[in-house]
Amino acid sequence: MSWLHWYLVVAVLLFCIGLYGLVQRRSLIGMLIALELMLAAVSLNVVAITSLSGGQSSVGQVVAIILIGVAAAEGAVALSLFVAIQREVQSINVENLSELKG
Amino acid sequence: MNWNGFLFGASAALALIGALFAVGLKNIFHNILGFALALVGVAGLFLTLGSDFLAIVLLLVYVGALGIAMVYAVMLSQPLDAPRARRSRAKIAGAALLAAAVAAALWLALRGARFPPPAGSLEVTPQMTGYRLLTDYVLAFELISVLLVVAMIGAVMVARKDRGAARRPGGAP
Repeated sequence: MSWLHWYLVVAVLLFCIGLYGLVQRRSLIGMLIALELMLAAVSLNVVAITSLSGGQSSVGQVVAIILIGVAAAEGAVALSLFVAIQREVQSINVENLSELKG
Repeated sequence: MNWNGFLFGASAALALIGALFAVGLKNIFHNILGFALALVGVAGLFLTLGSDFLAIVLLLVYVGALGIAMVYAVMLSQPLDAPRARRSRAKIAGAALLAAAVAAALWLALRGARFPPPAGSLEVTPQMTGYRLLTDYVLAFELISVLLVVAMIGAVMVARKDRGAARRPGGAP
C-alpha cells in the first residue's frame, strides 16, 4: 500500500465514525459534531488525492478551503437554529421534535 | 520510519481517537473536546501533506471558531443536569452496522483503486493557492464570501429573541 492509501483509509474511518455518530446521536449538537467530522474527512480526502497523485495540488487546496468555508457557514446557521429550537420547544433532542408528524 | 511517517501515525491516531470521543462519550462538552482533538489530528495530517496554510486555516476555523460556537450553543440550549434519553441497544447496533457496511464498501472500492504517481513536488506555497483562488476560481471565492455573509446575517436573525413577535404583533397568528 502506498502512502496515499493510508491517508484514504484514515479518511474512510473518520467518515464512518462520523456517519455512526450522525445516525446514533439524538442531541442536535452531537449530530452537528458528527457531520463536521464527515466534512473534515472529505477535505482530507481531497487534499491527499490531489497532492499525492498527479494533478496540481493547489487545486486541492482551493477545494479544501471552499469546503472549510461552507462548513463554517453551515455550522453557524445550524447552531443558531438549535438555539431557536430550544427556545420554542425547550429541548434539542430530535425525538421531541415531532410537530410535523400528523 | 522517518519523521514524516511518525507525524502521520501520531496525527492519524489523534484524529481517530478524537473522533471516537466526539461521537462516543455521553457528556456533550467531552464530545466537543473530542471534536477539537480530531481536528487537530486532521491538521497534522495536512502538515504531513505539505499544506501548512490549510492546516492553520483548519485549526482556526474548526477548533477556534466552530468549537467556541458549539460551546456557546450548548450553554444556551442544553441544561447539563437534564436527564438524558436512553438509547435502545438495537438502534445503536443498527447505526454501527450501517457505518461498518459503508466502511466495507469504501474499503472494497479503495483496495482496487490505482492512482498515478504525483506529477510535481509535494510542497504547495500559500502564494500558489492564493493565485489560483483569485484567478481560476475567483467565482467560487466570491460566492463563498456571499455565502458567509448570508449565513452570518441569517444566523443572527434566526437566533434573535423577538423573532416571532415582529412577525405577528399582538400574538395573533
